[in-house]
Amino acid sequence: MSGTGALVVEDLAIAIGQAAVVDGVSFAVAPGEVLALVGESGCGKSLTALALLGLLPAAARATRGRVMLAGCDLLAGDDRAWRAVRGRLVSIIFQEPTASLDPLATIGAQIAEAYRQHHKVSKAEALRRARDMLVQVGIADPDRRLAQYPFELSGGMCQRVMIAIALICRPDFLIADEPTTALDVTIQAQILDLLRRLAAERGTGIVLITHDMGVVADIAGRVAVMYAGRIVEVAPVDALFAAPLHPYTALLMGSVPKPDAVPKSHLATIEGSVPAPGEAGDACRFAPRCPKASDICRSQAPALGTADDSHLVACWHPGGVMA
Amino acid sequence: MWRYAAGRTLQALVAILGVLTIVFVVMRAAGDPTLLLVPQGASAEAIDALRHNLGFDRPWIVQYAEYLRDLARLDLGVSVVQHIPASDIVASRLPYTLELASGALLIAAGFGIPVGVLMATGRGGWVAGLLGTLVLAGQSMPSFLSGILLIAVFGVVLGWLPTSGADDLQALVLPSLALGALSMASFARMTRIAVLDELGRDHVRAARARGLSMTQTVLRHVLRNAAIPVVTVAALEIGNLLAGSVIVETVFAWPGIGQLAIQSIEARDFLVVQAVVLLVSAVHVATSLAADLAYALIDRRIRLAR
Repeated sequence: MSGTGALVVEDLAIAIGQAAVVDGVSFAVAPGEVLALVGESGCGKSLTALALLGLLPAAARATRGRVMLAGCDLLAGDDRAWRAVRGRLVSIIFQEPTASLDPLATIGAQIAEAYRQHHKVSKAEALRRARDMLVQVGIADPDRRLAQYPFELSGGMCQRVMIAIALICRPDFLIADEPTTALDVTIQAQILDLLRRLAAERGTGIVLITHDMGVVADIAGRVAVMYAGRIVEVAPVDALFAAPLHPYTALLMGSVPKPDAVPKSHLATIEGSVPAPGEAGDACRFAPRCPKASDICRSQAPALGTADDSHLVACWHPGGVMA
Repeated sequence: MWRYAAGRTLQALVAILGVLTIVFVVMRAAGDPTLLLVPQGASAEAIDALRHNLGFDRPWIVQYAEYLRDLARLDLGVSVVQHIPASDIVASRLPYTLELASGALLIAAGFGIPVGVLMATGRGGWVAGLLGTLVLAGQSMPSFLSGILLIAVFGVVLGWLPTSGADDLQALVLPSLALGALSMASFARMTRIAVLDELGRDHVRAARARGLSMTQTVLRHVLRNAAIPVVTVAALEIGNLLAGSVIVETVFAWPGIGQLAIQSIEARDFLVVQAVVLLVSAVHVATSLAADLAYALIDRRIRLAR
């Protein structure tokens, strides 16, 4: 750890064209902490993840806010500044591990490249470090794997390679964007376990982007729930699962299948759909789908406020919704 | 790798046999070749005698077998005009066409590929825009026109370069430009599409996430992945360059096989025409084979898959 302190996102807004897709997102991740960013498809969580590394697609741009690391606002930096951050201070792994590797380059070349990008060492030295890294991410027979190509590896193994690439420069923070969504359940558990172990050993702060409450319960220390481009609730994982305060969070948990439910009973769903960006105006964005919505919800958006010590919620009528 | 290469080579040999057969059939279907060979006003007996001498009165299957046997010995017959073996005539012209086609390919790929990359990455600003326009203009213009324009500007008005002949490297510049301009746009367009396609892939974003600059990413990860469609274009363009050389060689009085083909058609020297057609077809098949082998060198998955 180089002791850069927390990664802090302040009032981040991302627009695609005129539409604000992410609107005023703030959160902080401490070294060694696992923060889960949870939400439905299209809520802006993946764009938020990409913005943390300055990798937004060409159509999107950050219109407001700051991403603070070691006293610097990353969003204010140019391409050169971003390149010094990427892979060295903050790394990212993606949902599709196989597609995230260059099909025509060996595993070893790609891991070594990540190291050589930030360290002046010989290729042989970088390959030696790549080999060590493969051992650390639990890949057997590392010498053979170094010389192989991505198509010769399984999806789970490719994600281990991506983790090796992401962590070889010992970054302070790792953004994991749906890292296990494309993988089998058994592999998923192994990858999560690996992430948890590495975070604990190296003090890496992890931002885990997911829509899967099971993954959240498994690995996260704290959870930030996103809805339609805003964070609606932040809480330690135990508190959130014990007593969700935002109606959306409560309904989201109600839609997770439970093993003790009556067989073939209907799974709870949230009626309606996510509003299009810019549609909600000044209202609470969840109001049209919320069972507790009142007049104030439809006219004024609630701010993220403190419910108790570590539990934040953006709701006019927090607590007490049972799905 | 060896199994893949052997399979592809076998396919190429089958293709060559197909070409030989088509040429054989077309030459016979186009009418009795004897009539092309006799002087004007020859008697019927003389024609019959010549036909018998040349073996055109025998069953076609026998003629076909003999044709293949002669080809296997690289015996392409004797030119009825010059009375020397057709293969010798073609061989004496071939180096000029190879020289011209290489020059044209160098110009086409050397400009077309970088311009395509610049257009795809949106880098290079107005320079790339200008080059892109020039490349398009090159393709829009038929080579008999661009050839004459090049002669007029650089040969006649400016007097910088020779306008005809094949005496030295300077003489190669204008015909190569005229011939290469046609292929340049194919290279630029295919490179642009292939690079754009590749830039949208996850592994490019992942490379950027490691801290690579856009230039590093393109050089290390994009170009190699985009190479396969570009190699395909190169193989096709080599064939087109040989075909295009018929016109360009005539415009620039370049003594290659394109000019030879025109001269032989005019002189009704059909065995030489046949030799040129066989040669050009063989080059087509050979470049396809070379492209297939190049794919396997670029991408390991290809040689393992088949």
